Parts: sequence; structure tokens; C-alpha cells
Amino acid sequence: MHTQEQTSQRQEGSTPRSGANWNDRSLGKSWQHQFFYVAIRLGGRRLAYFFLYFIALYYVLCSRGARQRCSPYLRRRFPHAGRFHRLWYSYKLILNFGKVLIDRAVVGIMGPDAFHVTLYGREQLLALRDEGHGLIMMGAHVGCWQVAMSALDFMQCPVNMLMRREDGDVDRHYYEHAGIECPYRVIDPTEYLGGTLQMLGALKQGEVVCVMGDRMLGSDRSSVGVEFLGGSVELPYSAYKIAAATGAPVVVFFTRKDGPASYSLHVADVIRVPQVKGREAQTFAPYARRFSEALEQYSTEHPFQFFNFFDMWRT
Amino acid sequence: MDTKAKLKQVLVEELNLEDVTPDEIEDDEILFGEGLGLDSLDAVELVVVVQKHFGVEIKDMDEGRPALQSINTLAAFIEEKQG
Repeated sequence: MHTQEQTSQRQEGSTPRSGANWNDRSLGKSWQHQFFYVAIRLGGRRLAYFFLYFIALYYVLCSRGARQRCSPYLRRRFPHAGRFHRLWYSYKLILNFGKVLIDRAVVGIMGPDAFHVTLYGREQLLALRDEGHGLIMMGAHVGCWQVAMSALDFMQCPVNMLMRREDGDVDRHYYEHAGIECPYRVIDPTEYLGGTLQMLGALKQGEVVCVMGDRMLGSDRSSVGVEFLGGSVELPYSAYKIAAATGAPVVVFFTRKDGPASYSLHVADVIRVPQVKGREAQTFAPYARRFSEALEQYSTEHPFQFFNFFDMWRT
Repeated sequence: MDTKAKLKQVLVEELNLEDVTPDEIEDDEILFGEGLGLDSLDAVELVVVVQKHFGVEIKDMDEGRPALQSINTLAAFIEEKQG
């Protein structure tokens, strides 16, 4: 991987890389989501998958917008693929994404026992938790983090999630299907100071804070450029700054779908950020680069489980 | 040096504020957004700085939000915690 970095600290206004441009969660209309919820209730996961194969095919063949959303990532991941192959890869990407959305709904409707979740790194996570500085768990838009979250009960400490629902999101979270209280505290990045005080407070209490390392959220404009799949992308670095301030380790974790009804959660890296003065983007570039390297490795091994429907490389 | 003056000095030095001196910061100037123009990452730094220089911990949002409004509110918070 190249190591050249660019910085774009404190960018003002909307940027093409801001969270507002991510709408992968809303691929599909509201009634289409409702259709699958009914299918799950009537025939379970398999019936929903059955319909999904045709609907994914429809999207790939008939929706130019869907193909365009797949294109930036697939062109980077498969630079030598011809037109037919890219079409096939688009189908696989959309199909897998649809399966994850269905699985997420299945967990809510039929309960977490509907899937077998294997956690690799349990003892490591417990040891990190016991350090007492809190834990920043940094994921990405891969696999199905919601299913994996249901496997974090063993941590026996409150889990906080930095997330927001974009306008137009129509799919439900698994706990909404189940009609239960959200199992983790939601920190909204659009709230006062981007939720940083809440994150700091949670970590000081030794809690877990989950963030996405591949997406800028809310009003966060603190990004640093790193190489990813042969081009420069902007990744957020606020979490590394918070890690430096609190001493919390950053655990890079990814989930993946291993089988029809099984997922696994893997610890890909543990990043320690020493106390640093100031907030220059370049200071945090090495940590963002480690994240991008881990994500690149994941996309190499599981190319159709990195659900990137957004041009991360757009300048 | 009183708490407000020390706070202003620490702010400028530790947050690497350019184009502003401690004397130019008003006691009631809004710290974040409009006013001094600090942002969320500066808030992280500020929480660390307050603990480092004043021995006062800002533990959560309930404490932090009202305290981090201005030099006046932050100084009052620090003095209250210091007893």
C-alpha cells in the first residue's frame, strides 16, 4: 500500500465524503422492506432469500442507479474486470447486502438464536476491557455489525453506539422488529459537540463505544487522507483523538457472514494511541492508515461483504 | 494568576490557537461554534487540559455542556469543584 497521505482538517460545509452521501441503508423502497418483513414472518429467512434473488437481479439489470452505486468500489476492487464481470459482481454485492438486511430483520423477528455468531478474540476483548480505560470498537460497513452486537453481552458493560439515522432510511434495526428497548445507548453525532462529551464520559466509566471507521458522521469534518484500494480516501480521526485523551484502546473489528445462518466477529487490530498534544490530522494518519489496511485486507478476502455504495475516492 | 486568566492562557497554548492572544478572549465569549470557534475535537482537548492543569474532571455531558459555554462558566465550574 502507498503511504502518501493528504489532510483536510476542519473542512467546512458539505463534502462529497460526508455522511450525507451515504445511503446504502436505504437501497430499496419502504414497501419493499415491508414485503420482506412479511415474507420472514410467513416463511422465515429462506422464503425471504428466495424473493431476494429475483429482486437483486431486477436491480442489477434495470436500475442504473443501483449499478452506479456499486461501481466506484467494484472498479477499485476489480480494476481489470470487464463489463460482464462487473455486472455479475454488482449482483453479488447487492444480493449479499440484501441478505444482511434480511438477516438483521430475522434476528429481530425470530430472535438472536436464529443465527450462530462466533466471536474470535473474546479473551483479548475481556483483557482490554479490564484495563479500565473503556474500549473504542471501530467497525466498518462490512458483514452485519448488528448481528455481531448481539454477541457482545459477555462484555458485561454498557455499550454505546455512535450512529444516526439518515433522512429517508426505511429499514428497521433488529430491536425495532422485536419491539424491545435498544440494547445499546445511541450517541447521535449531530448532537452538541458531535457527541464527543458523551463518548468521553462513557469511556471514563469503562464502557464500550462503537464507531464506524470508514464514514464521516454528523458535523464531523475532522478527516485525514489515506490510501485505500489504490486511491486516496478521507477517513475520520476523531476516535483516535478521543483514544489519545482517554487511554482507551481502539479495537478494529469486522463481522462476516460465514454461512446461511452463521456470522463471525473478528478482532482485526488493536490500535494504541499515545497522548498527543494538538489535533493535527497528520498526527493521526498512521492510525487511520492501520484501519484502512485492515479494511483493505478484509475487502481482499471478502470482496462482496464490504457494502460500499458510495464513492469514497471522489475528490 | 486567577482561574480565568490561567484558563485563557492554557486555551491558547494547549489548543494551539492562532491569531488570538489570552487578553483578546472575552470572559463571556462563546467557546464553541460561533465566538471562539472551537469544535468537537477541541472539546476533547479542553477536557484533558482542564484535568491536567486544574485537577478537575469533567465526567459527562450533564456536567460538560453547561460548563463549556464560556470562560466564565468554565472557571466557575473549576472553582466549585476545587472547593
